[in-house]
Amino acid sequence: MDRYRVMIIDDEKIVGDMAKMSLEREGYVVETFLNGESALIRLKEERFDVVVTDLKMKGVDGMEVLKTVKELYPDTKVIMITAFANLDTAIEALRGDVHDFFPKPVKIKELKVSIERALSGR
Amino acid sequence: MKIEHKIILSNVFNFALILLTGLFAIQNLNAVLTKLRFIEIADDLNANFLEMRISEKNYFLYGNAETLLEIKDKIKLAEASIDKAKNDIVRAVGAGSLSTLRRYLREYSEMVDMIIQFPSRDTGTETMLRTAGKNLREFSETTTRLERERMNVIIARSKDFLRYAFWCVLVLAILVSHFISQKILASLRAIEKMTTSISQGDFRKIEESRSKDEFGSLINAINVMSEELSHREGEIIQSKKLASLGILTAGVAHELTNPLNNISMMAQNYVELYDSLNREDRIELMNKVEGETVRIQEIVKNLLDFSKPKEANLQEADINAVITKTMKLVQNMIDISNITTKLGLDEGLPRIYIDEHQIQQVLVNLITNAVQAMSSGGMLYIGSRLGRKWDSIEITVKDSGKGITPEFLPHIFDPFFSTKGDSGTGLGLSVSYGIIKNHKGDIRVESKPGVGTTFTIELPVKKN
Repeated sequence: MDRYRVMIIDDEKIVGDMAKMSLEREGYVVETFLNGESALIRLKEERFDVVVTDLKMKGVDGMEVLKTVKELYPDTKVIMITAFANLDTAIEALRGDVHDFFPKPVKIKELKVSIERALSGR
Repeated sequence: MKIEHKIILSNVFNFALILLTGLFAIQNLNAVLTKLRFIEIADDLNANFLEMRISEKNYFLYGNAETLLEIKDKIKLAEASIDKAKNDIVRAVGAGSLSTLRRYLREYSEMVDMIIQFPSRDTGTETMLRTAGKNLREFSETTTRLERERMNVIIARSKDFLRYAFWCVLVLAILVSHFISQKILASLRAIEKMTTSISQGDFRKIEESRSKDEFGSLINAINVMSEELSHREGEIIQSKKLASLGILTAGVAHELTNPLNNISMMAQNYVELYDSLNREDRIELMNKVEGETVRIQEIVKNLLDFSKPKEANLQEADINAVITKTMKLVQNMIDISNITTKLGLDEGLPRIYIDEHQIQQVLVNLITNAVQAMSSGGMLYIGSRLGRKWDSIEITVKDSGKGITPEFLPHIFDPFFSTKGDSGTGLGLSVSYGIIKNHKGDIRVESKPGVGTTFTIELPVKKN
């Protein structure tokens, strides 16, 4: 069985590093990106099973990443994380076909459960 | 008194003056007319008397009794015209003169009657009749002459009076209207002063008006409005403070969330993966945690700096020298960004009391913002000049950048407000604002999207 591919996008480098550190030990293939632009370039080259992205980023933001992912790979699940934990942003994110929504600080265990659930459907 | 009443009163006053002058002129004219009518009658009488005397002379020369009858006819004619013009004569010369005239005429008439009854041409009779005729004619002529003179005097007097009255009315009209317009202008100036100070945010009552005119009620109305505005301003300031506090809180929360999240995630991994991590990994994680706490420390320090601005250390300084020094600090950044700078520093500006370091901080801040707002090839202008009221110095930092949209403009000095996304802390302008206010100065912004932004700093000139 192929290993699942997870993409992490957050302009805070530590977020990607920590998620990667934890997820790789679970057997996922993880790639991290610091902005939406470089992530989109990589997405056009290759499909990922799960994309975890920060909502608010300079330039290409989480919503734009979500839109492109859904265009390219409708099956790919998108999980949003954001420092702005308010209802409005959550509703906005969930309306856009988001699998899950995490306010910061992110609980890595919960993130892992969410990713597992996203993949269990296939 | 109301202005309306003042104007009416002054008009009534002027009108009364003109009316008085007119009445006097009419009266003088009437007097002149009376005199004129008398003179006309008197001239007729005089001609009559002259003819009588010619007849009288003829009688004594040629002894023709008919001439006496001619004289009698003339006397009757004269008496008739005197009776007819009795009123006019009394009005012109008085009843005394009229009776004198009548007496002389009667004496003369009686004399003629006597001569008709007892014809005589001796010297005694001649002298008596001639004396009576002479008296009559002299009295009549003298009276006529005097009346003519009097008439001339009246004409000259009314000419003078009319001339003086004209100047009087003119001067009074000018004085009164000047006085009233001065009062109106003074009130208008007071109101202008008041409204200007209100527009500048000074809501003090200028003065309680004592005048009962329209301006008095206007000033009272403005005072009420000013009070209301002052009250409202207090509310606005309060709500602005609350809004700032909200922005501040949201800003702090946002700023702190990221490093806290980083620490949290590293701690979770440290605990969760402790056994599978080697010593170096663990140390690296803890070092990064330490790094994130430094980041939080920095935010807290900035926040403290913001909420408790350092006391300004004011020293006498030349603002142009400060600007020139600052330009050296930012020249590299400007060069890299390919921005053209233009300096417009007025010479001979008064020295001002400032904290040079803080003002430099403000200038660096404004210049950095300006450079970041412009793309390559932009134009940065920095100028200094004396303020409009000569009591301040104005420093202008103007860019040709993308400008600030009108809805952001009111928040530009709010703490944690940033148009630069995550690259700005949103504290720069807020701190600058605090520094300038600490200097008892003012900082303003004008901006047009797509055209550029101009910041103007106003610093008070040192007062002796």
